[in-house]
Amino acid sequence: MLTLTSPVRTWAHGVRAWVKLGALCLWTVALLRIDGVWLAGAVVLVLALAASGGRVFLAQWLAMLRPLWPFAVLITLWQLWLGAPLGAWPIIARLGAAVGLANAVTMTTELAEIITLLTRLARPLARLGLNPKVLGLSVALVLRFVPVMLLRYDQIALAFRARSPRRPGWRILMPVLLAALDDADRVAEALRARGGAG
Amino acid sequence: MERNLTHIALFAALIAVLGLIPKIDLISGVPITAQSLGIMLCGTVLGAKRGFLAVVLFVVLVAAGLPLLSGGRGGIGLFVGPSAGYLIGFPFAAFVAGLVVERWQVRVGVAAFAGAILGGIVVLYAFGIPGMALALGKTLPEAALLATPFLVGDLIKAVLAALVTQTIAQARPGALLSRA
Amino acid sequence: MAGSGIELRGVGYSVAGKAILTGIDLHLTESRIGIVGRNGSGKTSLLRVMAGLVAPSVGTVTVAGKDPARDRRAMLAQVGILFQNPDHQILFPTVGEELAFGLTQMGQSAKAARMAARALLANEGRAHWESAATHTLSQGQRQYLCLLAILAMQPATLLLDEPFAALDLPSQARLRRKLAGLGQQIITISHDPEAVADCDRVIWLEGGRVAMDGPAGPVLAAFTGEMARIGGLDADADLAS
Repeated sequence: MLTLTSPVRTWAHGVRAWVKLGALCLWTVALLRIDGVWLAGAVVLVLALAASGGRVFLAQWLAMLRPLWPFAVLITLWQLWLGAPLGAWPIIARLGAAVGLANAVTMTTELAEIITLLTRLARPLARLGLNPKVLGLSVALVLRFVPVMLLRYDQIALAFRARSPRRPGWRILMPVLLAALDDADRVAEALRARGGAG
Repeated sequence: MERNLTHIALFAALIAVLGLIPKIDLISGVPITAQSLGIMLCGTVLGAKRGFLAVVLFVVLVAAGLPLLSGGRGGIGLFVGPSAGYLIGFPFAAFVAGLVVERWQVRVGVAAFAGAILGGIVVLYAFGIPGMALALGKTLPEAALLATPFLVGDLIKAVLAALVTQTIAQARPGALLSRA
Repeated sequence: MAGSGIELRGVGYSVAGKAILTGIDLHLTESRIGIVGRNGSGKTSLLRVMAGLVAPSVGTVTVAGKDPARDRRAMLAQVGILFQNPDHQILFPTVGEELAFGLTQMGQSAKAARMAARALLANEGRAHWESAATHTLSQGQRQYLCLLAILAMQPATLLLDEPFAALDLPSQARLRRKLAGLGQQIITISHDPEAVADCDRVIWLEGGRVAMDGPAGPVLAAFTGEMARIGGLDADADLAS
């Protein structure tokens, strides 16, 4: 399964996950309270951090910011319409600095490390009846079945196109969904055959 | 026990798959992603509690950095961005959709439509709009205005959720856990 | 191997009022047993009942003296099941996790299970599989992984559901060779007489009942004859059966 973790190792990979997440929380809260020069400083700091990972890392980091473009354009147009185009800058700067650091945390933290952290955080929930082992198992099942179901979808779409000149529409969702429900029953059985979820 | 677990996990996977498959033409020429349809279906098919847990699992994996959100997005960045409110609202949307189908004992298609509207639109927007207002520095009415273009697509998805849930009730009555 | 006997007494199994299995009395002690029948004859349901994945509606099932539907923990060391579709059996995204899971279920620590899985793969000459993603394996490889995952738990009996159905000829030959070398009791379910021709005992299931039970030769001859006769008729349109 593809993850968003950076292909190149950076110094930040060695920092513990909870430290990075804690810093991110403080950073995000602080961003809402600063303005002017301080905000400009924050943006420069995030850019510097991303650049410290090297060229490949920086390119991937910039690519991950791409979904923010429509919002930046929208806000700018809105502010132009209000007659105060400079009002767009702090909004976009805060958004970019917050999302930028968060993406950097995601890129430098292994999935397994985050899952371990989550399992540890979920431990108090054991008293409410949530077995932390079950969390790990559910995560594994999702990772296992996303590619299986994507493949199944492709096969069903192919079968549709083999018999229809039109593009497969929403009707194709039905067999995909029924297959998921049937899979869930079969997999429950396979899990039971090997000792259950307990 | 095993059956609950696998249904929750496989529906979490299903939400991801619905966001990753090529966009589907709803009415010819209007392609949209089916991901929020997946959220509605988690509630209407699995019921309130299981639907909630399936969506929580999905959201946790997105937060953990898996690119499972439509367009291959993922990571914590989403939770400090403009769509954070929607992501946090997803599980509650599924919960309310499921609750309506469980409690309102009319034809399952009707209950699923009402559930999808109430959960997938009313509840979801109630989380999404404040999130957008906060991230974009706008007032609530302004943010609500930004959300309106998506209303048409979401209404169509609510109709689809109702149709799909109704079909499951006929094709696999035992699998419709919200009415089991 | 004797002693691991599976015993069914007066077993019936029905789903939503529809009888799937009726009046099954079997004591299975032979080392290699085949169960044949056509589609819908109740073969897979019989396997599920024997393994304790479902409880019979009437009658009793015992595996090594215990009820398999209740004593799941004891069954892990008694019965391993190879499902027909490996995609329904593989629970984990990587090979190493898949192999280690059964061992942690049997009480080993996560670390010990990982080591054992690694050793098992090395022993099979497939050490490089450990971190491979399970969905990238071929059909034959996935089936093989399922078999390894079961063998890691060292059950006394293996239940195989149409093990050769989806495999190409080289994969079939490899699986056959692997199975032949195992000391376990093996019960194979198939619609294909070829798959169970080497068994010590073959049971023919028809309409949820035992139609014939005995040495492979005569049972398979009768089964093949009857299947050819049915195939000659155009009676496939009946929905009520």
